[in-house]
Amino acid sequence: MNDLVTTGLYFDHSMNGHPESIDLLELSRFAGNLGGVEWTEHSTVIPPADPKYFRDIFIRNRVEHLIVVGHTPGNLEPFFKKASEGTRLESGHISYISLPEWGLAGKRDTLLAKILIYESVTGQLPKGFRDADAPLMHEATLVIGGGIAGIQAALEIANSGHKVYLLERTGTIGGHMAMFDKTFPTLDCAACILTPKMVEAGQHPNIELLTYSELACLEGSSGNFRARILKKARRVDITRCIGCGVCAEKCPSKTYSEFDAGTTLRKAIYIPFPQAVPNKYLIDAEHCIYVQEGKCGVCAKVCPAECVILDDKDQEVVLEVGQIVVATGFNVFDATRMEALGYGKYPNVITSLEFERLVNASGPTGGAITFRHQDKKGNWIFQKDGPGPASIAIIHCVGSRDIHHRKYCSRVCCMYSLKMAHLIREKLPSAQVFEYYIDMRAFGKGYEEFYERIREEGVHMIRGKTATIEEKDGKLLLKTEDMLNDRMIVQEVDMVVLSVGLEPVTDALQLAGMLGITADDEGWFMQRSGNISPEGTLRGGIFLAGACQGPKDIPDTVAQASAAASGVIRQIATGRISLSMQDFAHEEIEQFLSSKSPIAEEQP
Amino acid sequence: MSYRIDPEFRKELGKFGVGSEWSECYHCGNCTATCPLTEEKILFPRKGIRMIQMGLKEKISAYVEPWLCYYCGDCTKTCPRDANPGELMMALRRYLTSVYDWTGLSRKFYTSKSWEFGFILFFAALVVALFSVFLPLRPDAEQMVNASGGVMINSLIAGMSPSTFVSVIEWGDWIMAMIVAGLLISNILNMFHKIVLSDHSVRVPLRAYFIGFWKLTFNFLTQARFSKCDNRNYWAGHLLLMTGYSIMFAVIVVLLPEFQTEEVNPWYHWQRLLGYYATFGILYFLIITAIGRIRRSDINLRFSHSTDWLFIIMLGLTTITGILVHIFRISGLPAATYYTYVIHLAVLVPMILVEVPFSKWSHLAYRPFAIYFSELKKAGKPRTADIGLAPAIS
Repeated sequence: MNDLVTTGLYFDHSMNGHPESIDLLELSRFAGNLGGVEWTEHSTVIPPADPKYFRDIFIRNRVEHLIVVGHTPGNLEPFFKKASEGTRLESGHISYISLPEWGLAGKRDTLLAKILIYESVTGQLPKGFRDADAPLMHEATLVIGGGIAGIQAALEIANSGHKVYLLERTGTIGGHMAMFDKTFPTLDCAACILTPKMVEAGQHPNIELLTYSELACLEGSSGNFRARILKKARRVDITRCIGCGVCAEKCPSKTYSEFDAGTTLRKAIYIPFPQAVPNKYLIDAEHCIYVQEGKCGVCAKVCPAECVILDDKDQEVVLEVGQIVVATGFNVFDATRMEALGYGKYPNVITSLEFERLVNASGPTGGAITFRHQDKKGNWIFQKDGPGPASIAIIHCVGSRDIHHRKYCSRVCCMYSLKMAHLIREKLPSAQVFEYYIDMRAFGKGYEEFYERIREEGVHMIRGKTATIEEKDGKLLLKTEDMLNDRMIVQEVDMVVLSVGLEPVTDALQLAGMLGITADDEGWFMQRSGNISPEGTLRGGIFLAGACQGPKDIPDTVAQASAAASGVIRQIATGRISLSMQDFAHEEIEQFLSSKSPIAEEQP
Repeated sequence: MSYRIDPEFRKELGKFGVGSEWSECYHCGNCTATCPLTEEKILFPRKGIRMIQMGLKEKISAYVEPWLCYYCGDCTKTCPRDANPGELMMALRRYLTSVYDWTGLSRKFYTSKSWEFGFILFFAALVVALFSVFLPLRPDAEQMVNASGGVMINSLIAGMSPSTFVSVIEWGDWIMAMIVAGLLISNILNMFHKIVLSDHSVRVPLRAYFIGFWKLTFNFLTQARFSKCDNRNYWAGHLLLMTGYSIMFAVIVVLLPEFQTEEVNPWYHWQRLLGYYATFGILYFLIITAIGRIRRSDINLRFSHSTDWLFIIMLGLTTITGILVHIFRISGLPAATYYTYVIHLAVLVPMILVEVPFSKWSHLAYRPFAIYFSELKKAGKPRTADIGLAPAIS
């Protein structure tokens, strides 16, 4: 039997204030009933109180083990070090439980937090919860999301000889990376790196692509999942479609292309982009005249392969998989929410994603940077030819680092903005480029050098966030405080590019609920541990890859995807899947915790 | 020029209602760029936040910009860090009022409620005492009603002729005006010294003093600078208050014999029309502001310091008692007229003595002069680069 160590718990309420967060009072009550716990206390103030006050408590209760629980309890370390001087705790130990580090944020996680506390107090996980694993019933893995993260993870797993289902919501795999022109800081062609991987994934014998499909429901437990997949009606039989394009040529309905970030028009029957995988057509029901009004059907008439099925219905398939890699990526911030910057009001205020397409050789203008104008039919598109802008401003931190929008740093915008500045200088050598930044965050390998290089190329760097943009006589006026030169600037430019931040996909929380994993208060999925398991989740057999866990650049995304794949392959190799807290039913945990003497039960 | 960093400065500011939101600021410059009043050489509010974060106490003393801000709240609304720069400017005005005031009373009033209330109650009691000892109500006051049914307001004092009573009150007005003016002028000189003379980086040409004076007068009369803020309602309300208050001040101090007459003039008489306009102007502003502050309807009314409320309450009481004096007078109620008159003065006198030289109302002098001083600095020619080094540590 373990000797009972006299334990004290301190609960730090700071940063844990909102009503939906974990109930620390209940945790405190729970901890007080555990064997060996002599004292618990909680506070909302930092620093908590006089160290002397705690020293007296430690001496009075003969505390040998102190556990500090809270949002960022490590911040209190110097304080408790000081308080423990001259007490039994000095030779004992202090441990810290950071709840978010364990992915515990919401009220519903209170039960799981109890297990953590139980483990910390008794030094052992309850019987049955520790080193628990389950047999891996199905070897196949489901990868959700077909961007660079999903493709990388799928290829890693498939190349080691295991079956992968690659699930993608849109008509093609490729994700955001396929839209980009160049990567930073090496200025490699993004498509040149990604397209071969897409083709490989599309042709791999171990990978089954499920495009235009979504996860509808997940049942079962780790190692033995049943995933119900909604295969949306594509209305084109991809086994027969030869990709000739006659249908799109005749289709009368047009809309803005998602792949080109709305800078070009596509037909209602379309291939997302020429290198799409699978390179087959699909029908956008929302804009299809036949689907909406019941007449037309010209595509079906002209198709030489007779593969258009206008009355196609949604289907459901059930996949039995052992493990899941979540790689759902991100959305870009909607710049219309920053009203003062005039996006959506002035045609030549564009977002960085639109710029990526504009400057791309396969983009709307063949790579020429031109002005946006209204064509004869009233659509806002970029001029095919015409003069380029003589001056372009790039505004950083649009939607990021802003308490009213997204409070975090989106991590990639500084670098892609520098890259855009370089591309502008390359395409329009006489154009003046102004970068308005708050802080230049060039943190990665080769990034600072890239920043230096762009500065040397003659791009103007201005430290100050542009507050307002107004249009006057066809020019855009930017009002900014140039704080390093102690002056106000009203800069007149021809075009403005807004470096929009990254945000979680709109239905991230819904997906997290479906998968039984946690998300932080912004909506990014929660990793198992920020330091040692950024690719795992609290649920065994579910891994994270790429920006769905937090904003990330391409190298980090690929690294994380490979790490997730290695986790998957490890468990396939052992044939067993290691479980964690969230794999257990809440009733099971509750039943355990309510048993009177849990430690005694551990005795043989 | 070099400045000393004062780590205790933030605590000192805290006493003036400066919160700690400014520590959130990460210097993106959005506030300065959003501000409709910021100019090429006059950048605020971000620079002020920087000075406070750095603890540059001396530099804040020489900082004229808070007076150039009219608190439209655009900076606070759009601040990406919720650092509340607008309210910081407001709180800095409180702090600066105490910096300019050499008597030290302003500091006491802003940082201690007991000092402020004690001062007010003392002067209120003094007014009541002076009246009850030297200017008591005559026993046959009920007779003092003229043919038209109005109270003969100057004949209510026992053993004193109407003309003597008017000149006693007029003398009192003048003495008070002199005290207040003396305090304000000396404080403005102090402000001038801190803002213009102590700034060795610019040399102000003599011509600028004359040209700038026009802007001072113009802005004082029209509040033109205020009208540059996006929401012009505040400017209009403030202009009503300012003109109403100035008219009242003029008729009380300069034209008292014509204003406080024995005869009740018909309603269309200039004396009554001016009075009605002034009362309306002040009352309108007070009601709008009080409702706004209670409902916290706009960003600039969301945070109310105790002195903000005291100002509204004192001015409100003065106005209401003034209206009551008028009503009792035309209704022919001599005793009621007398007592409300005494209460009116018992509120008015401490309000003038506390608010104008030491508290919120001092801005009537500081704001136009701040515009004047900033014009001087803008016109100033830079001296040779003055890169003073901090004194070596020995």
